[in-house]
Amino acid sequence: MTKLLTMALVTLGMALASGALADDLPGGKCLECHLTVDDGVGELWEDDIHARAGIGCDACHGGDSMQDHSDLAKRSGTGYQGELSAREIVSSCGGCHSDVEYMKERKPLLPVDQLEKYWTSEHGKLLVKGETRVAQCVSCHGAHGVREVNDAKSPVYATNVPATCGGCHGDAEYMSDFDIKTDQYDEYVQSVHGKALLEKNDVRGAPACNDCHGNHGAAPPSIDAITNICGTCHSYNAELFLGSPLAPAFKEKSLADCVACHGKHLIRHVAEEWEGEKPGSTCRKCHEEGEEGSDLALYFTETFGSVRLAFDDIEQLLGEVEVKGMDVTEGEDYVEAARQGLMQARTLMHAFSKPVMEEKVSEISANQAAALEVGYAALQGLKDRRRGLAISTLLLLLLTLGVAIKIRTLPPFD
Amino acid sequence: MSTSPENPDRALLAWAKDRYPIGKFAEWAKHKTVPVGRGAFWYYFGGISLFLFLIQVGTGILLMFYYKGSADTAFESVRFISAKVPFGWLIRSVHAWSANLMILSVFIHMFSVFFMRAYRKPRELTWISGLVLLALLLGFGFSGYLLPWNELAFFATKVGTDIVGVIPVIGEPIMYVLRGGEDVTGSTLPRFFALHVAFFPALLTVFIAAHLFFIQMQGIHEPEAWEAHPEQRKTMPFFPHFFMRELLLWLITLNIVAVLAVFFPAELGIEADPFSSAPAGIKPEWYFLSTFEFLKYMPAHVGPLEGEEFGLLLISLGFLLWCLVPWIDRGRSRRITTIVMVTGVAILVFLTILTYLGFAA
Repeated sequence: MTKLLTMALVTLGMALASGALADDLPGGKCLECHLTVDDGVGELWEDDIHARAGIGCDACHGGDSMQDHSDLAKRSGTGYQGELSAREIVSSCGGCHSDVEYMKERKPLLPVDQLEKYWTSEHGKLLVKGETRVAQCVSCHGAHGVREVNDAKSPVYATNVPATCGGCHGDAEYMSDFDIKTDQYDEYVQSVHGKALLEKNDVRGAPACNDCHGNHGAAPPSIDAITNICGTCHSYNAELFLGSPLAPAFKEKSLADCVACHGKHLIRHVAEEWEGEKPGSTCRKCHEEGEEGSDLALYFTETFGSVRLAFDDIEQLLGEVEVKGMDVTEGEDYVEAARQGLMQARTLMHAFSKPVMEEKVSEISANQAAALEVGYAALQGLKDRRRGLAISTLLLLLLTLGVAIKIRTLPPFD
Repeated sequence: MSTSPENPDRALLAWAKDRYPIGKFAEWAKHKTVPVGRGAFWYYFGGISLFLFLIQVGTGILLMFYYKGSADTAFESVRFISAKVPFGWLIRSVHAWSANLMILSVFIHMFSVFFMRAYRKPRELTWISGLVLLALLLGFGFSGYLLPWNELAFFATKVGTDIVGVIPVIGEPIMYVLRGGEDVTGSTLPRFFALHVAFFPALLTVFIAAHLFFIQMQGIHEPEAWEAHPEQRKTMPFFPHFFMRELLLWLITLNIVAVLAVFFPAELGIEADPFSSAPAGIKPEWYFLSTFEFLKYMPAHVGPLEGEEFGLLLISLGFLLWCLVPWIDRGRSRRITTIVMVTGVAILVFLTILTYLGFAA
C-alpha cells in the first residue's frame, strides 16, 4: 500500500513538473509526453534556440500538439512527419532559414544563404545524388538541442568544430565508401592552427575546419583558391607571394601555392619544416643543389639560424648581468624589437628576394647589436661599481684605521 | 687665543664663543660619561640606528629629486632612478639597505635595553618613546615598500592593509583611509608617499628628540651590579672616547651598507597591475614576517572571534605588556625579574623561528 502511494506521488510529481516545464516552452502535449519518456528529446529541447524563440515541434514535424493522446496528435490530416529523412531535414531547416522575410523578423542579422550554399557543397551535391550518409544541418548543429554558434556548448562553436567534422571525417569505416583520407583531424590537432585553437583556446585567431573549407558550402578548395583562403588571415604573406617570382612558376606547375610548401592540415611551425633533414629542405622539394633557389634557401637558413643564435647569446648576457642587479630594461626593449623584426622577416620570406631580406636582417642585427651593447655596458657598469666599492672600502678602511689609531692615542679613562 | 686672519679656525671659534655658550657645551661633553663593562658594546646600537636614520634622510631627499608619487609615473620614475640617474641605483640601494639595517639595529637596541633592564625607573619614558620610534619605523618601512609601485609591493600592501582591516570597529575605517577607498589602487600610492615623506618624518623627529632628551637628562643606564659594588664602576668620557668608538662603528656600518648595495642592489620587479591576480609567494618585508606567519597559524575561529582577529588581539596584548615592562619589573622582586627575562628570551626565540618559517615558506 505504502509502495503504491509512493509511486503515485512520484508520478504525480513528474507530471506536475513536466507540465510546469511544458507550460514555459513551446511543444504543447508533444513535450509533456517526451519529458516522461527516456529519449532525451525533452531535455534537449529545453536548451534549444528554437524553443526559446517560441517555435514548436509542429514547425518541423507537423502533427497536432494540442492533442492529449499521441495517436490523435499524429493522426492523418495533421501533417505529422515523424522522424525526418536527410533530405527532409535540409528542406525543413532551409525552409525557414532561407526565407528572407521570415528571418528578417526573427533574426535579422543571420545570413539566409545557408541552403543555397549547402547545395554547392560536397555534402549537398552527394545528397542530391541520393547519398544520405552525408552531413546535413542536424549532423553538425544537432536536432533538438540547437544552440547559438557562439555558445561554447554548441557542436559548431569554434573549438568544437574540429571534433564535429572529425566525428565523420576521422571515422575510417564510415568514410570507407567516399575515397577520401581520414587523417585530417589527427593532423589538424598537431598543427600550429590546431594547437592555437584547441590548446590556447584562440577562438578569434586560429582557424577551424570551416574557416578554410567554408561552413554550409564546405568543399575542398581549388588550387587557385588556396592563396585567397590562407591570405584571409595571412594577407601580407599572400600579397608578397603573389608578387614573387614563385607565383607564376607555381601556376605553371599547378602547385597549390601555400599548401605546396606548408602542407594542408598538418601545418607546423616554420622552423620545424624548414630545417628538416637538410638546410632549406622545404625548397629542396623542387630546387636542386646549386640552383639559384637552392642558394636562396641556404641563405635564408643560415640567416635565420644566425639570428636565432644571436638571441641566445644576448639573452644569456642580459640574464647574467640582470641577476647581478643591473638594469637591462633598455636591452630587453631592443631584444623585443629584434624579435618583432624576426617575425616580420618570416613574412618577408614570401617575397623570395634576397635584397628585401637583407634589409630586414640588417634592422634585426642593429637591434641585436644595440641589445648586446646594453649588456656589455651593464657588464662594464658592474665592474665599475665593484671597482668603486673597492676604492671606497679602501678609503673607509683608512679612515677607520685613522680613527682606531686616534682612539689608542686618547688619554686613558678612569 | 689669536683672532688674527692667519688662524682662521681659531678666529671662527672665537667668533662663535663670543655669541654662543660653546664653552658650556664643551664642559658638558667633557663630563658626560658612558659606562664601560661587559655589555658596553650594545650601547653603540642606539647610535648606529641614528646614523642609519641620517643616511635614510639624506638618500631619501636625493630620491625625491626624481621620484614621482603617482600610480602612472612611480614605477617608471624608480626605473629611471635605477637606470639613468648617475649613482641613482646606489642611492636607492643604500636607502633600501640602510632601512633594513636600521630596523635590525633598532631591534638589537631594544632587546639589549631589555636584557640590561635599562627600562627600569627612571627610564620608563625612554623605553616608551623607543617603542613609539620602533612603531614609527615599521610604519616608514610599510609605507616605503609600496612606493616603487611594483607587483610584489602592491600585493604585499594589499595583504598588510587587509590585516589592518581585521581590527574590530576601527580597523575598516583605518584601512579605508590608508587605501583611499575599498581596495589598494592608484589612490593608495599618494597617501603612502605622504605618510612616508611627511607624516612619519614629522612624528619621528619629535620622538627622536624626546628619546635623546630623556637620555641626556638621565644619563646612560649603568649595570645593576655597580649599585652594590660601586668600586667596580668604570666609565669613559662620552667625548672623545665614546664618540670616537661610535664613529669607528659608523664607518664600518657605512662600508657594510656599501657592500650590500653593490652586491645586492634593490630590485624593481614588474610594474603593479591592480587588475591582475596576485602572484604566488607574496611576502611582506622580513620585519613583518613573524606577524604574517603568526596570523597564518591562527585557526579559522576562536570563540566568537575570527582567527585573524584573535591573532591581532594577542599581538596587541603582547605589545601592550611589552610597553608596560618597566612597571611590571621594577626590580623589587627577583622572581618577577626572572619571569620577565625568560619571557623576553622566549619572545626573541619565537620571533626568530616565525621569521625563519616565513622565509622558508
